[in-house]
Amino acid sequence: MEMEASSTSPASGGTQAHSYPPLRSRAFHKFTQQNLPACKAQLTPAWVITIFLVTGVVFIPAGLIFICASESVVEIVDRYDIECVPESYRSNKVAYIKDNSISKNCKRLIKVPKHMKAPIYVYYELDNYYQNHRRYIKSRCDKQLLHGLKYKKTSLCVPEEYNNGLPIVPCGLVAWSLFNDSYSFIRETVNMKVNRKNIAWMSDREHKFGRNVYPFNFQNGSLIGGGKLDPNVPLSDQEDLIVWMRTSALPKFRKLYGVIEEDLEADEIIEVHLVNNYNTYSFGGKKRLVLTTKNWLGGKNNFLGVAYMVTGAFCIFLSILFALIHVKNPRPHGDASHLYWNRKSNAN
Amino acid sequence: MNGKGWDRVRTARLGGDGAAAGTTGIGSRRTGSVQLRQMSSQTVRLGRVQPQAPSHRTIYCNDRDANLMARFKVNSVSTTKYNVLTFLPKGLFEQFRRVANLYFLMISILSTTPISPVSPITNVIPLSLVLLVSLIKEAFEDWKRFQNDIAINSTPVDVLQGQNWETVPWRKLQVGDVVRIKQDGFFPADLLFLASTNPDGVCYIETSNLDGETNLKIRKALERTWDFLLPDKAAEFKGEIQCEQPNNSLYTFTGNLIIESQTLPLSPNQILLRGCSLRNTEYMVGAVVFTGHETKVMMNSMSVPSKRSTLERKLDKLILALFCGLFLMCLIGAIGSGVFIDRKYYYLGLFGNVEDQFNPSNRFVVTILTMFTLITLYSTIIPISLYVSIEMIKFIQCAQFINKDLHMYHVESDTPALARTSNLNEELGQVEYIFSDKTGTLTRNLMEFFKCSIGGEAYGTGITEIEKGQAERLGKKLDEVKRSDTAIHDKGFNFDDARIMRGAWRNERDPEICKEFFRCLAVCHTVLPEGDESPEKITYQAASPDESALVNAAKHFGFFFFRRTPTSVMVRESHVEKMGNIQDVSYDILNVLEFNSTRKRQSVVCRYPNGRLVLYCKGADTVIYERLGDTNQDIKRLTREHLEQFGSAGLRTLCLAYKELSMDVYEKWNEKFIQAKSSLRDREKKLDEVAEMIENDLILIGCTAIEDKLQEGVPACIETLSRAGIKIWVLTGDKMETAINIAYACNLINNDMKQFIITSETDAIREAEDKGDPVEIARVIKESVNHDLKRCLEEAQQYLHIAAQSLALVIDGKCLMYALDPNLRVNLLKLSLSCTSVVCCRVSPLQKAQVTSLVKKGARKITLSIGDGANDVSMIQAAHVGVGISGLEGMQAVMASDFAIAQFRFLTDLLLVHGRWSYTRLCKVITYFFYKNLTFTLTQFWFTFQTGFSGQRFYDDWFQSLYNVIFTALPVIILGLFDKDVSASLAKKYPELYKEGIKNVFFRWGVVAVWAFFAFYQSLIFFYFTTAASRNGHNSSGKIFGLWDVSTMAFTCVVVTVNLRLLMACNSITRWHSLSISGSILAWFVFIFIYSGVMTPHDRQENVFFVIYVLMSTFFFYLTLLLVPIVALLGDFLYLGVQRWFFPHNYQIVQEIHRDEVEGISRTEFLEIGNHLTPDEARSYAISQLPRETSKHTGFAFDSPGYESFFASQAGVLAPQKSWDVARRASMRTSKKTSPK
Repeated sequence: MEMEASSTSPASGGTQAHSYPPLRSRAFHKFTQQNLPACKAQLTPAWVITIFLVTGVVFIPAGLIFICASESVVEIVDRYDIECVPESYRSNKVAYIKDNSISKNCKRLIKVPKHMKAPIYVYYELDNYYQNHRRYIKSRCDKQLLHGLKYKKTSLCVPEEYNNGLPIVPCGLVAWSLFNDSYSFIRETVNMKVNRKNIAWMSDREHKFGRNVYPFNFQNGSLIGGGKLDPNVPLSDQEDLIVWMRTSALPKFRKLYGVIEEDLEADEIIEVHLVNNYNTYSFGGKKRLVLTTKNWLGGKNNFLGVAYMVTGAFCIFLSILFALIHVKNPRPHGDASHLYWNRKSNAN
Repeated sequence: MNGKGWDRVRTARLGGDGAAAGTTGIGSRRTGSVQLRQMSSQTVRLGRVQPQAPSHRTIYCNDRDANLMARFKVNSVSTTKYNVLTFLPKGLFEQFRRVANLYFLMISILSTTPISPVSPITNVIPLSLVLLVSLIKEAFEDWKRFQNDIAINSTPVDVLQGQNWETVPWRKLQVGDVVRIKQDGFFPADLLFLASTNPDGVCYIETSNLDGETNLKIRKALERTWDFLLPDKAAEFKGEIQCEQPNNSLYTFTGNLIIESQTLPLSPNQILLRGCSLRNTEYMVGAVVFTGHETKVMMNSMSVPSKRSTLERKLDKLILALFCGLFLMCLIGAIGSGVFIDRKYYYLGLFGNVEDQFNPSNRFVVTILTMFTLITLYSTIIPISLYVSIEMIKFIQCAQFINKDLHMYHVESDTPALARTSNLNEELGQVEYIFSDKTGTLTRNLMEFFKCSIGGEAYGTGITEIEKGQAERLGKKLDEVKRSDTAIHDKGFNFDDARIMRGAWRNERDPEICKEFFRCLAVCHTVLPEGDESPEKITYQAASPDESALVNAAKHFGFFFFRRTPTSVMVRESHVEKMGNIQDVSYDILNVLEFNSTRKRQSVVCRYPNGRLVLYCKGADTVIYERLGDTNQDIKRLTREHLEQFGSAGLRTLCLAYKELSMDVYEKWNEKFIQAKSSLRDREKKLDEVAEMIENDLILIGCTAIEDKLQEGVPACIETLSRAGIKIWVLTGDKMETAINIAYACNLINNDMKQFIITSETDAIREAEDKGDPVEIARVIKESVNHDLKRCLEEAQQYLHIAAQSLALVIDGKCLMYALDPNLRVNLLKLSLSCTSVVCCRVSPLQKAQVTSLVKKGARKITLSIGDGANDVSMIQAAHVGVGISGLEGMQAVMASDFAIAQFRFLTDLLLVHGRWSYTRLCKVITYFFYKNLTFTLTQFWFTFQTGFSGQRFYDDWFQSLYNVIFTALPVIILGLFDKDVSASLAKKYPELYKEGIKNVFFRWGVVAVWAFFAFYQSLIFFYFTTAASRNGHNSSGKIFGLWDVSTMAFTCVVVTVNLRLLMACNSITRWHSLSISGSILAWFVFIFIYSGVMTPHDRQENVFFVIYVLMSTFFFYLTLLLVPIVALLGDFLYLGVQRWFFPHNYQIVQEIHRDEVEGISRTEFLEIGNHLTPDEARSYAISQLPRETSKHTGFAFDSPGYESFFASQAGVLAPQKSWDVARRASMRTSKKTSPK
């Protein structure tokens, strides 16, 4: 600082000859002299308390709203993979599921706990199913799904690329393992209509699966992984496949099966006729049927609400804690005696 | 006598010796060839001497056809590193020598194999971006070099063709050509000096481009060639030169010139090196000997190994830790995959022929291969762009902040600070020990003749600053002596004593001895006079200011030295009895016995016009006293007393002595001298021995005392630095008294301190020395040093524990020599580390370096050396950071340094402001880089657990590849440039803040661990919150998210959070912070909108097609995007809040104290909005308008293997000089004396 003074005086005389620099160089001057205007962020106790308080005050009501929203959703989950195996096969479920001669039909009764307003979404839920396994996830060919047999470079699809020397459409493990349980719902002996259209994302239907691509040579091998496809329906209309092929992020996942377009009354008993085709027994996976309503937030998921609540509560707690500390034992703000070199000299 | 000043003398010797050697061939005065090798032994070499093949080259002068056979190199030089063809391979090779780049290259190669879960672009894109930036920088620098080469190679030069001078470009010059160089021109190649317009065939050259010395040197042509000056004469010159092969020794040359079957020996004295320039000579003619890359200066081109900062070495450890972390993560994942894989997951298609990586029958192979898979997957844990970012940050810090800081700009000498390397910025923030030279660093190196003692009588009435200081300490008040009207205050002369001024010495008791005194001053030196031969106008070219001060003093006493010829000096004497009778006397200089650091003296044998032969000698008191005859004990005793007085007044003393020689004694001795001088082996040693034979039985005349003034602001600066916890050691060649007094004067030592003095000036040692047995002396000194050290150490412990007193150690060079012995070193170190200041006096340059490395290696503390002279070079190079004082004269220290400043006091700014900021900023940058890459990679790691350890990637390839180089790149650079915890003035007001850097508070493992913990925490939040929230979270149409939806969501959260976290780490937020952070987040959204909006015809998996639009159509997206960053940052926020609340850093308290203050400078700026400028602004603008000749050639100089950067040349600031750079500057013809004003 003293240097500023000493070096300024001789220079100011010499610079008068220069014209004044343009604005830009003045900004540059601030840059080189590291004097850019800045706001100094300091996390003072008041700021800490305020920020925690505001977060808490915003988050707790938000969390409550989300929980309420979630609670308003009626969800019925029915695990059927064990009950749908006849008693005699319970010890060897794999044999049961692999034996084509045994009928796989199964009847389940579901009690509606509350009034369910249409639309009611039908999901199947699988567990311990690694749709995100690297070998599985890469075994598909998006170009083939769009262009069909014209597209030849399907090497990613191994081991489900060719069968009997002919290419498979759709190729790959993902399509091959298509889920093929089917459900039908009977309400007081009347078959309920399950709408199975429009269950996939529109972008998938319209841009990823070809309108003129038909299944070819599909599930013709010795090993059959899952569902078959109607060779006369183009892939863009095979919505089960489209849903299935949007691979899940986690090994436990739900996929949309269809939509029931009528309300269900409370305490009503729904009869579900299902065909238990899909093999989850060899790897110990669970199968569930889910019927659920929807609201603006989506399905039943308390997580967001709880997370908001907990975070908010935690913030409130912290702000109170800090406020108490601040009141009881305030830290003098900017107290020079806290500087350690001063502390030391005080001690002496 | 201070070693420094004397070191300067040796360069002047070149001239002096040249003069002596010039007489070669004139009868008995032949003094043999010049020993330039002596110089080279002390001068910092630019490179090693590489002896060429034993054969010699034969050059036919003026005969291009005859030279064709030999195929000499052309004179065009190329300093480029690459050409069009080699650029790519060579440039890439250089890049892949960096471990991080090599690592990413290997990962990239690995990711082209099917084993990799990610496509090659993931790693190739960041790598190629980094390489691209580096290669562009290389290409840019090389282009600059190339253009410079062209400019140099096409500089015109006059070549003799036929009978005329033809102007050709330098590159067309060939070996054997005869060229003409005009005044102030640069030599285009190494030339054999044939003739000049000066009488006696001499010319003057300036070698500042080679060694930084600005004093002129004399070169002398062989007498036989003096006539070849005019073109018609020169055309007749058909000599044949036989000489050594090109080599890089600047100071040697052996060869013969054969003219008309007459063989004449050549010495370096006839060689003019490329890079030097001609001075004070109208023009000269020479024959080309070495051209282009074979010139000595070009053969010296060698890059100096660059220093790496301590922080960077710590960074290496951090990277190593990351590698360990990477390995651990991969190991966990790989073992998991081996356990997981099973045929029961039939949907994975594990029947039949399965590739090895998923084959359940061989789980071990699965594990090994998955290991590689995961390495490619987690490669982002190593921050590839870290190095490039650091490089850019540091470079801008150097070029824009340090070099342009007005607080370090010295107006008087028009010298800004100069960062010669950008590697060490942050090292400046951690310096704990400063080793300072005294002369020229603490003091101004403006030598003023202040006092003297002649024949036992002390003269001079002035009072030095130090004496005033001493008096103040003792509470006395010294009255300022009234200056008499005889007082003269000239440059280098501040002396007043009516008894001897204005010829009054004639009335003194012994005027004869006064006469000898003045003659000795006027004759025994190596100064070159320049300019008009009148006392008012003449300027003296001296290697050291002491020399010119002494010659100047002689002038004021009436012995005006005004002309030097190679064989004599001319002195205008006004001593004759009658006043006003002035007489020019010419003294023949027969021999010059050079100064060197072992001799510590300089002698001249001269012959008076009347034939009287006298040897004049001046030198350090110790060496002179050893060589005095037995006569006149009184004078010896009185002079010694005076010496002590002068010394304690902080003056630099020199003893003068003379000796009459008889003709036959001299002749006999001269034979030996010539023999020694022409001997080929151990010449230096033999010369010393011969000199010893004649430098005895001297008669003491008296002594001189020169004041060396303290530099401005030194005491305040030292006080500030010591409050900052920096310990300052003074290493000086001066006498102990002088050194202690200077230490007092600049606040290093005060009366409250307990002083330990370890000196060799004890009775026991003196006694042993008198006996003269070297073994015995060594033993005695060693024992006494050992004893002293132990005693002092014990006392020191007591003082430290009981009294908490600060301690000071003073040790002299002789004791230091023994104390540095491996056995005693430990004690010395312990003792000196417990002292707050240490003064080492009478140390040699080597000892300076030894002491520096003792602390550097022994105590593992960060050291800084600061000095201005050639004798400080070794110390500057030995320390972690070398700082050179630039400005006054002499460039050697600056050339060896890492930073150059004009004044010692600028150290405050350099260390406390720039160093400290640099350190805190880089710590933040590094830890932040660590954090952001760890967080990102850990989310990927958590996902691995959900995928059966298959190594499936969580993110899209492009997300991963652009994460480091686009979405999080810029804000961290802005942080590294602009973050400012406390303002510059506060940093200087509270120097104690600097201690945080010394203790390395901001980059400890603890700090890293905290960041790692929060990276861990945040990554868990990112992964589990997004997956949990998206489990059933769909929109009202009931559709479900897939993997890519969830991962895009998670990535969005990561980018937003990581950028916001940076904002929390900032102390000051400028608009650049907000711009870059919001820009980075925006960049992500723009990218994902485009990326997921288009389908490409290329073969890519359309995983993320439409994903962002799907996400953004749901409430889930917005709710999660609000929740996750807040929860993730809650932990950091809590930590920062608690830390500041309960364990505040010092800088935080200072921030709080000065919270409401607008920074001083900016306030004035606010007031002066409009057309008015603050003086600072105006000045900086003025500086920016200054011509910067050096910058033209040095812009590309930042190319050492370290982290230098790219924009180097754009800055156009003074950049470091490399040896090839020297060559280039040397070759430029721009007038050196462009006035900046």
